[in-house]
Amino acid sequence: MVKRRDFIKMAGAAGLGLSAAGWSMLAAADGSSTSTTAVGVPTNTGIKGRVVVIGGGMAGATVAKYLRIWGGTGVDVTLIERDSAYASNIMSNLVLNGSRTMSSLQYSYSALASRYGVKVVKGDVLTIDPVGRAVTLASGARLAYDRLVVAPGVDFDVLPGLESAEAQAKVPHAWKAGPQTTALRNMITAMPSGGVFVMSIPGKPYRCPPGPYERACVVADWLKRNRPGSKVIVLDANPGITAEVHSFTDAFNVVHAGVIEYQPNVTINSVDATTMTVNTSIGNIRGNVLNLIPPHRAGKVIAANGLADSGGKWTSVDVLSYEARVAPGIHVIGDASATTQPKAGHIANQEAKVCADAILRLFSGRALDPSPHTNSACYSPITADTASWLTANFAYDPVTKTMQPVAPSSGEAAARSSENFKEMNKWFTALMGDSFA
Amino acid sequence: MNQSRIIRGLVLALAAAPAFAQTTTAPPPGRLLASNCFQCHGTNGRGGVETLAGKSASEIVKELKEMQGKTPPKMMDMHARGFTDAELQLIGNYFAAQR
Repeated sequence: MVKRRDFIKMAGAAGLGLSAAGWSMLAAADGSSTSTTAVGVPTNTGIKGRVVVIGGGMAGATVAKYLRIWGGTGVDVTLIERDSAYASNIMSNLVLNGSRTMSSLQYSYSALASRYGVKVVKGDVLTIDPVGRAVTLASGARLAYDRLVVAPGVDFDVLPGLESAEAQAKVPHAWKAGPQTTALRNMITAMPSGGVFVMSIPGKPYRCPPGPYERACVVADWLKRNRPGSKVIVLDANPGITAEVHSFTDAFNVVHAGVIEYQPNVTINSVDATTMTVNTSIGNIRGNVLNLIPPHRAGKVIAANGLADSGGKWTSVDVLSYEARVAPGIHVIGDASATTQPKAGHIANQEAKVCADAILRLFSGRALDPSPHTNSACYSPITADTASWLTANFAYDPVTKTMQPVAPSSGEAAARSSENFKEMNKWFTALMGDSFA
Repeated sequence: MNQSRIIRGLVLALAAAPAFAQTTTAPPPGRLLASNCFQCHGTNGRGGVETLAGKSASEIVKELKEMQGKTPPKMMDMHARGFTDAELQLIGNYFAAQR
C-alpha cells in the first residue's frame, strides 16, 4: 500500500503533470474538493452518432461524459435535465446529523459541457417518439437522436393520507436529496428530549438498500447525544434487514440499543399528517417526526412513454447494452431499470459506462462486449465518525443473461471503524469526480 | 425470383449498415473492465484515492493477486476477488498504457 507522501514523491520524480486541482484532490480528505484534472478530452475516433440523454443524475451524467471521452468529437451528446445542478443523495444522511449541508452536495454540469462538449439542456421531457427518434420537451423543443438513454431515477408512490402537498411537506421522505433533506434536519433539531422519530422502509426494490438503516443509525446517534430519551422506530416493509445484515444488526442491538426499535414485516395502511400518526399492520404509531419512504417506481417519463414493462414500474433491459427489451434504440440505466443489480449511485455510474461502450460499438458496427463487469460499493455511517461498507463485483452470466455477484467479492465490512469513515469521504469525492468532473 | 431476393437482401443489408468499422478506433482491450476502478481511482485511473495510470502492469497484477487473499478483506480486497486472472492482466495492461 503506497503511503500518500511516498506516492507524491514518486509522482514528482516521474514528472506526472498533475495540476493544482489534481494535487488538491489527493490532499483533500474532507470530501470538499470537486475539481480534478481534465482527463479524456475528446479526440476524433471516427465514430459518429447522436445521443440524447434524459436525466442528469449519477447514471445520466456518467453516460454523457463517457460517450464523449470514449466516443470522441463525432458523437453528439445532449443531456436534458430539469434542475440546474445535481443534489447528491449519497452523503445526504449526514445532513440529518448536521455534519454536512445540502449546499455542499450540489454538483454542476459545467465540467461536462466545458471539458467534454456535452450539450446540457435545462428542460423537462414530455414525450418520446421511438419511431421518429426524437424527444419533445415541455418547452416545445424537439431533439432528434440516433440512440436515446433514459436515466430518470425514481419517483415515489403516494401513501394514503399524504395526497396533498401540505401533508407531504409535514411527512417528507427526503429520499430524493434536496429541500426535503434540510426540512427533515430542521424537524429533527426541533424534537424534544424523549421524542419519537418514526421512519418507514418500503418493500424492495428501493434505491440504496443500506440507506434507510444508515439513516436510522445517524439519527439515533444524534438524538442519543442531543435529545436524551428519544427513540427511533423503524417500520420495515421487508421481512428483515436488506443489506449489511451483520453491521446493522450490531448497530441496532448494540451500538444504538435502547434508542432504535426495529420492526420488520410492517405494512403502512394510512397516514394522518395532522395527528402525526401512522396506521400500520402492528397498530397506530405516533411520532414527533414522521419520515416515511414510500414504495418506488421509475421516474415518470418511463411509464408515460410505455417503457414500464417490469411490473408496470421499471424497464427491463439487456444488461450487455441496457437497451430496453420493449424499445430498441432506447437504453435505460440507473435506478429506473429492472436488473439483478441494486439501485445505487455507484453502480449506476458503472452501468452508464457499460451502456456508453455498447452504444459506441453499435455506432461503429462492432459486437457488444460479451463479458462486462459492474461493481457496487457503499459506505454507511453508523455513528458520527464510524462507518461500515458493502461491496460486490458483478460478472455477466450468459445462461441467465443477468449480472451476478462473483461470490467471494460480495460482502460487508467486518466491523465499523473510523478508518472506514475517512475512506468514505475519499470514496465519495472520487466517485463524484468520475461522474461530474 | 432468387436474383430479386438476393438484391433485396443486399439493399436491406446496405441500408442497415452502420459506419464502416475499419475507419473507427476500436475500444482498447481492458478499458471497460478497468473503468470499474475509476469510481475510486479517478477517470482513466488518474487521481482519486490512488492514481493507477502509468503504473507497471505486473505490479498492479501482483498487488491485486495479494489483495485477493487478504483476510479480513477490506473493500478493495473484495473487489479484486471478482476478477479472473485474465481480467486482472487486461486491467493491469490498460493502466500501464495510460500516460
